Amino acid sequence: MKKTASPPTILLVEDDVWLAELETRVLTKEGEYTVVHVPHAPAAMVAIDTVHPDVIILDVLLGGNTAFALLHELQSYDDTGRLPIILCTNMAETLHLSELESYGVRRIVDKTTMKPDDLVAAVRSVLL
Amino acid sequence: MNGSDEGQLLGTRSAYDTMSSVTAAAHELKAPLALLRQLALRLEDETLSSSERQRLVEHMTLTSERALRLTSDLTKSARLEDALFDLEPLNPEQVCRDIAVELAPLFSAHQRELRVEHRSHPLLLVANRDLLRRIVMNFSDNALHYSQPGTAVRIQIQALKKSGMIRVGVRDFGPALSSDMWRTLQKKLSKAPQAIHARPQSSGLGLFIASQFADAMHGHIGVTRHRDGATFYVELQASQQLSLL
Repeated sequence: MKKTASPPTILLVEDDVWLAELETRVLTKEGEYTVVHVPHAPAAMVAIDTVHPDVIILDVLLGGNTAFALLHELQSYDDTGRLPIILCTNMAETLHLSELESYGVRRIVDKTTMKPDDLVAAVRSVLL
Repeated sequence: MNGSDEGQLLGTRSAYDTMSSVTAAAHELKAPLALLRQLALRLEDETLSSSERQRLVEHMTLTSERALRLTSDLTKSARLEDALFDLEPLNPEQVCRDIAVELAPLFSAHQRELRVEHRSHPLLLVANRDLLRRIVMNFSDNALHYSQPGTAVRIQIQALKKSGMIRVGVRDFGPALSSDMWRTLQKKLSKAPQAIHARPQSSGLGLFIASQFADAMHGHIGVTRHRDGATFYVELQASQQLSLL
């Protein structure tokens, strides 16, 4: 994890490019965060090594692999295993935070009910 | 075929459990509806420029059309057994070209392109124009969401001379299905339709509907995995008029 004075970096893993655009705009609005967007899990693994994110916002159903494959991969390494994860998903009602905490998942945000600022609030809460 | 693995073809599935169907439909509609909601919330921002506002409205239109296509297919699928479908000799390339024109705004808005590979000697197949159109639209929509920005989704038409079938395939260039995902797909292709996952994001409902439409035309659908994407295809009987060409 990097420790600099620059804004915290969020890695946004979202395969819907329009939704990613909306979320990026909200997260970068106040200049509070830097957002790097990737559309799928393999790109996320590459980006983790290059951008060293402070937090990952992760859609669950992705092309190629699901988020769970990525969560398993992240847990394989000490450094990535400590990255806080926020799941942002349409499947929130079927997921339980208590069962996912061991994978680094700190918050679950329901895409179907979230307001734009909910994502900012979730990021703030995991970076405290 | 360019693919390394030939997908097992999908067979007829007559017993589609009603509750599962409702669940799958709800799941499939969640994504576009959730996106529509976020786009609408974004429109509330009074500082948006007129061009940003126009772009958001365009995205809302295209997203709602995508959801409406699914509901229309569901309705058609539910009435399939009661309806009679005229089968006629068709040039699939022309059907696919019409689809490419219709979907051009959607693909363009996603920085993608839908191309139909031209054949100098047209192939004819026996199909119902509306059902074939729905199948190819379904595959194209799937390909749109799993291809990389800047890439072209290609529609390919080829004759399978041994079987006397014509294959219409939609090839995307995106992240490869993992081996685990592929094995799961292959296993599920032959089981309950609600468990079919064309791609992980999908409940498989679109694929199931496409399978039903293909069955109604005495054809079948299938999938081929590539190193850099996948091809979803439908195979239908070649028209006897081929021999006259």
